[in-house]
Amino acid sequence: MLEIFKLVFFNYKFFTLSVIIFSSMVITLLLISEFIFLEPYFVTHIPSGSELGFILIVVLSTLSALVIPMNIFRISHFKNSKQKISGSIFGSIMGSAAGACSCGPIGFAVISTFGSVGATATAFLTNYETPLRLVSIGILIIVLITTMKAIPIECKIK
Amino acid sequence: MNKKGAVLGIIVISIIVGVVASMSSSTNETFDVDMTRTHGSISTAMGSPILGDPLAPVTIVEFGDYQCHQCHNWFVNTKPMIMRDYIETGKVNLVFVDFAFLGRDSPKAAQATYCADDQNMYWEYHNSLYTSQESKIDNGWASSERLKAFAFNLNLDMELFNECLDSEKYSKRVQYNSQQARDNGVRGTPGFFIVDSDYNQTQIGGAQPFSVFQKILDSMI
Repeated sequence: MLEIFKLVFFNYKFFTLSVIIFSSMVITLLLISEFIFLEPYFVTHIPSGSELGFILIVVLSTLSALVIPMNIFRISHFKNSKQKISGSIFGSIMGSAAGACSCGPIGFAVISTFGSVGATATAFLTNYETPLRLVSIGILIIVLITTMKAIPIECKIK
Repeated sequence: MNKKGAVLGIIVISIIVGVVASMSSSTNETFDVDMTRTHGSISTAMGSPILGDPLAPVTIVEFGDYQCHQCHNWFVNTKPMIMRDYIETGKVNLVFVDFAFLGRDSPKAAQATYCADDQNMYWEYHNSLYTSQESKIDNGWASSERLKAFAFNLNLDMELFNECLDSEKYSKRVQYNSQQARDNGVRGTPGFFIVDSDYNQTQIGGAQPFSVFQKILDSMI
């Protein structure tokens, strides 16, 4: 397992990609979910009752930062099926969209633009934020496991 | 001449009846508000009663939706400290203005608070809505039946409350408030404006922690 991580992330391109994915996802999601505020002052806080939401965001961002570069590594080195990356992208997008709307500026923009359809979509993503994030984490874990099993086999074949 | 007199009489009576009818129907829709009340750029005339000392030098104008979970977070985590350190000490007062955009039950919940206000129970009803808020939008926790149940629990006159809520007496008031939010650039809830007596105002977006409010309030008092 450690060998596979070394194989992928000791390559500075994939390591940099991983850092970029993690930092951009975690900062964006923490901003949207109001764990970080930039105005009128920069401030971070975790309100009581929101601890689980914070943990899910960090886990989701970490898994995305591992799984997406590993699948890009597979595609670039083994010219493997590009479908392999779809699971990781789908899991990351679904986890990011869950709870992104809510009552903040994104939710307001969606409702203002799409009316009742936007309100229904916003309500769905807000109401099922935690289950959707858990499902997306589950998808990313499955993709991570299958990727870690596949890379040694593909290395031997090559 | 008699015919003309009769026709003229009918016209005059019709006009009088029309005027009386229109006056009586408009009486049903009038409510006791100070239409000149503003805080900075915001018309708070149709908003909540003032919480705290009306003569306090600083006012917090809160735009909120009763179905918004971040508004609930602010209500639970930040507002109690503002109440303790600023509102109960007479340094600051607070006005709540509805920005009911999240779901179909949001405007009805906002209207219900003004029906409670008719019986001088605005803030009690407001607090009961936020303490009873459920995490899911439009799942029925703020349906008309539940809104009436909240009123019942506060021992409100149910005949008056039900008539007020069912007739949508305060529908336009809530719409007016939501328009105030849009006009003042509020893009989500909760949204705050802190306004001092010189009409300087600072906008705060989101359920920010007490430390942010403390810093701004202390600089304005």
